Amino acid sequence: MNKLKLILKDKIYFDQYLFISITLLSIMGLVFLYSASQGNIETTIKQSAFVIFGLVLMFLVSQLDPDFFKSNSLFFLICSIIFIFLTLIFGKEVNGAKRWLDLGFFTLQTSEIIKITLPVFLAAYLYDKSLPINLLNTFVALTLILIIVNLVRIQPDLGTSIVILIAGLYILFLAGLSWRFIGVSSGLFVLSLPFIWNNFLEPFQKQRILTLLDPTSDPYGSGWNITQSKIAIGSGGIQGKGYQMGSQAHLDFLPETETDFIFSVIAEEFGFIGVCILLSIFFFILLRCLYLALNARDRFCRLTIGGLSLLFLSTIFINLSMVVGIIPVVGMPLPFISKGGSSLLSFYISFGIIISMATHKKLMQR
Amino acid sequence: MINLNERLSEKKNFFNRLLFVYIFFGILFLYLIYKTFTLQVSSYSDYELASLENKTREFLIQPRRGIIYDRNGEIIVNNIPSYNLIANLAVLDDIDKLIEDIQKIIELSDSEIKTINDNFPSKKKQNRELVLKKDLTPKEIAKFEVRSYKFPELQIAVRYSRENLFPYLFSHSVGYTGSLGEEELEEILILQNLRPKESIFSYSNGFITGKTGIENVYDNKLRGKFGKKTYEVNASGRILNEIETIPPMNGEDIFTSLDIKSQNVAFNKLDNRRGAVVAVKIDDGAIVTYVSSPSFSVNKIANGLSKQEFDDLVLNEDKLFFDRAAQGRYSPASTIKPAIGLFGLKKKLIDWNSTIEDPGFFVLPEDGRTYRGWKKGGHGEINLKDAIIESSNTFFFSLAYQTEIEDLREHLSHFGFGKNICKDCFMPDIGLLPSPEWKMNTHNFGWYKGDTVNLGVGQGYINATPMQLAYYSAFLATKGKLNKFSFVQDRQDIKKDTYISKNINSNDWTKIHESMVGVIENPKGTAGRLRALKDYIVAAKSGTVELVSTETKEDYQIIREIEGQRDHAIIIAFGPIPNPEYAVSVVIENGESGGSVAGPVAIAVLNSLIKE
Repeated sequence: MNKLKLILKDKIYFDQYLFISITLLSIMGLVFLYSASQGNIETTIKQSAFVIFGLVLMFLVSQLDPDFFKSNSLFFLICSIIFIFLTLIFGKEVNGAKRWLDLGFFTLQTSEIIKITLPVFLAAYLYDKSLPINLLNTFVALTLILIIVNLVRIQPDLGTSIVILIAGLYILFLAGLSWRFIGVSSGLFVLSLPFIWNNFLEPFQKQRILTLLDPTSDPYGSGWNITQSKIAIGSGGIQGKGYQMGSQAHLDFLPETETDFIFSVIAEEFGFIGVCILLSIFFFILLRCLYLALNARDRFCRLTIGGLSLLFLSTIFINLSMVVGIIPVVGMPLPFISKGGSSLLSFYISFGIIISMATHKKLMQR
Repeated sequence: MINLNERLSEKKNFFNRLLFVYIFFGILFLYLIYKTFTLQVSSYSDYELASLENKTREFLIQPRRGIIYDRNGEIIVNNIPSYNLIANLAVLDDIDKLIEDIQKIIELSDSEIKTINDNFPSKKKQNRELVLKKDLTPKEIAKFEVRSYKFPELQIAVRYSRENLFPYLFSHSVGYTGSLGEEELEEILILQNLRPKESIFSYSNGFITGKTGIENVYDNKLRGKFGKKTYEVNASGRILNEIETIPPMNGEDIFTSLDIKSQNVAFNKLDNRRGAVVAVKIDDGAIVTYVSSPSFSVNKIANGLSKQEFDDLVLNEDKLFFDRAAQGRYSPASTIKPAIGLFGLKKKLIDWNSTIEDPGFFVLPEDGRTYRGWKKGGHGEINLKDAIIESSNTFFFSLAYQTEIEDLREHLSHFGFGKNICKDCFMPDIGLLPSPEWKMNTHNFGWYKGDTVNLGVGQGYINATPMQLAYYSAFLATKGKLNKFSFVQDRQDIKKDTYISKNINSNDWTKIHESMVGVIENPKGTAGRLRALKDYIVAAKSGTVELVSTETKEDYQIIREIEGQRDHAIIIAFGPIPNPEYAVSVVIENGESGGSVAGPVAIAVLNSLIKE
C-alpha cells in the first residue's frame, strides 16, 4: 500500500494547494453563476461541464514534462496565430466584433489561446539567451508581442489585447529588461498617448474612458453600466442581500451579469464579507504561484510560472477595477467565475502548465 | 563557478522583479479593497437608497379634502364626483392632434379647448394629468369606451371637484380652493415625510389647497394625508408587482358655527349693495353670519375660469374679492356712543342724572371751532340715556372733551377696537384706534383736543371692521364677558375678557342696555322704524358715517348726487333683551341711514336666528 502511494507520488504530478483552491473557486463560480443568470439551469449545466472538463484538462496538462512545452512552443504559437487569422476571416460576428471561431461543437475565442502560447514561447525563446536580456532580443520579442496584440485589437477585443501585451511585457521584465529601457519606453508611451487616442481607439472606447471620468454625465447612456454596478456593489453592504436576492441583478438593472459584471452580483448578494472571502482565495492562489515560481527548476519554468500567474493576476485586477469604476469598461471575465468556455479552459490550461512546471523536478542536478 | 554565480544572481534578480510586480499589484489590490469598502460600508446607505429607488416606483394617492358643514350639520362645501376624460401627458406630445381626434367622438366647446390649450404646457412640464372634459354623460362614456383602444393615452375616471353648495353665500367666509404651487406642494410633502412623485389624483384640478377663508385657515385639517402605492419595477420600468399600499387619510371634516339660513337672509337683504353683515352667538363668540357683498361664485374660481371671466371679477368696481366683513374699514360713528358713555360713568365724569344743554353744536374752548350735531337747534337739556336714544352729538363731544386720550384709548381697546378679535379669520384687519404717537408718526402732527372730541362720536381717525363692530356689539350684550370670535369652536379655550365687568357696575350696564333698547322702542329713538319688524326686544345703536363734511342739509343734498359721497349706514344690535343671545353688526356703504337702511337688515338676521 505504501509502495503504491510512493509510485503514485512519483508518477503523478499534482499540487494539492492549487488544485483544491481552484476547485473551490470553480464550485463557488457555479453557485454565483446560477444566481447571476437568473436561475438559468441550462447556462449553469453547460458551465459545469466546462468546469469538470477543465479540471480534468488541468490535471492532464500538468502530467506533461515542461520540456514538452519548451520544445513545442513555436509550434503552439504558430497554430494560435493561424487561429487568429482564421477568426479574422471566418469568425462569427457578434455585436460588431469577430472574436469567435465556430468549431461546430464549441465556439472558440481564439485570443484566449494566444494569451497562453505567447508567454510560453517568449520564456522558451529567452531560455538559452544570455540574461539580462539584450537590446536585439528585446526588439525581436517586442515586435512579436506588438504584432499579436494588434491582431487581437482589430477584432476588436481591447481587453484581451491589453492582457496579452501585459503578459508579454512581464516576461521581458522578469527576464531582466533594463530599467533605463523601461523608463525611456514608458516616457515614449506617455508622449504617444494623444496619438493612440486619435488613431487607435474606436469611438465607443473613447466614450467609455470619458464616462469613467464622470459617470454622472450621462447616467442613462454610457454611464449606466458603471452607475448600476456601483449601486449593486454598494447596496450589498457588509452582509449582502442574500443569495438570489440581489434586486440590481435580478431586475435587469445590472448589465452583463453572467460575464463582466458577475463580481457586482456577488458583492450585492454576499456583501463585503463575500467579497473578502472570494479575494482571499484569489490571493492564496497567487501566493502559491509566487512560491512555485521562486522554486522552479530552471529559467524557462520560472519565467513561464511568473508570466502566467501575472496574467491571471492582471485579469482579476482589470475585471475588479472595471466593475468598481476605477478603469473604463473593457470586456474582461473574472477567472473561474464568469461564464464563457474559452476563457475558463485557458485558465485551467495555464494552471496545468504552472503545476507541471512546479512539480517536475530535474532528476539530476546539473 | 562563474556560471553558478551568474545563475545565482539571475535567480536573485528574477526574485526581486517578481516580488516587485507582486508588491505593485498588492498595493493596487489594497486600493481595490478600500474602494469596495467605501462602496459597501462607508456609502452603504446612499447605495442602499439608490438600489431601492431603482427597483421601486411610488405613486402618491391624493386624499380627499374634508367636508365643511354649517352649524346644523348641513353641508356647505362638498366633493362632487364626476366622470372625466383624462390625458396622461407622460406619453402625449401632440395635443392639437388629440383634440382633433377626440372631437370626432366627444364634442368639446371652444372654451374647453381653450382651457386645455392653456393648461397643457404647465401640466406637461410637471408630467401631471390633464382633464380634457368634465362631467361626461353616460352616452359620451359609452362612445369613448368602444373606441378607447385608439387612445392609449386617454382614460375615463372619477375625479372630484370641490363644490360649494351655496357658491355666492360663503365666498368670503369659507373661501375657495385653488391649485397648489410646486413649492407649496413640496413643503406639504416634506411635512408628511414624502417626496414629490407621480400621483394618483382624486381631483380634476390635481393638487389643490385652500386659498382663502376657512378653506385656507383650516387647510391643515381639511387637507388630509397622501397615501402611497409602491410597485416593484424592472430596469425597463415595467411594473412587476405591488409591494405595498398605504391608503390616503382623507381630510378632517370641519363643523363651523355658520348658519345657512341667516347667511341667506343677510345675503338677500344686502341685495348686492356694498356692505357687510356679521352676527355672532354671544355666549361663545361663534360667528353664525358672515357676509360681504357683493359676492362672486367660488365654484368658478375653484374649478376653472377663463381669462375673461377672471378679469371681469378682478376689475369689477365693487371689488368683489374684497372681504368687507374682516377687512373693510369704517368709522364706527354714533355706534361708539354707548362705549363713550360707559367711560364717563367709570371715570365718574357723569352719572345718569347729569345733563347738558344741547344747542345743536359744541364749541371747542381752545380755538372756538364748532362741532355740529345732526339735529338743527339741538336736543335741549339732555342726559346720557336720551343722548344715546336720540344720538346727541353735543353730549358726547362735551363728555369726550373732559377725557384724557390715553385713558379713553385704553378703555376702547377692551371693546375690540384696534385689535384682532378673531381666532380663525382669514387675514383680518385690525382697524385703527388712534393715539397721539400714531398721529405724530403718520401725520407728523401733535394730538389735538378736537381729535378727542371727534373720537367721542366715532368720527375722525378711528375706524373698525364690521367684525370688530359685531364684537363691540356682543361685548355690550355680554356686559364685557366675551370670547374671541371663531368659525370653529374648540371647547378647551374659554377665556373671557372680564376687565370691563370689574370696572363698570352692573347697574350701569343695565341702564346702557335700556338706553339702547330705547333707540328702537322710544318714540324719539333713531331706529324707531324697526319696532314693528320683530316681536321681541332688541337693543341697538345706529350710526351714519359722514364721508364729506357739510354745514347744512341743503349742502348734503348737493353732494349726495354722487352715490360714492353718500353717508355709510351702520347699526349694531343685540337681542332678545333681557337675555341676549345674538349680536349683529351691519354696514351698508353709502346707505345713508343707519336706523332705516342698515337696521332692517340687522333685524331680519336676528329674526332668522332667534325665531327658529
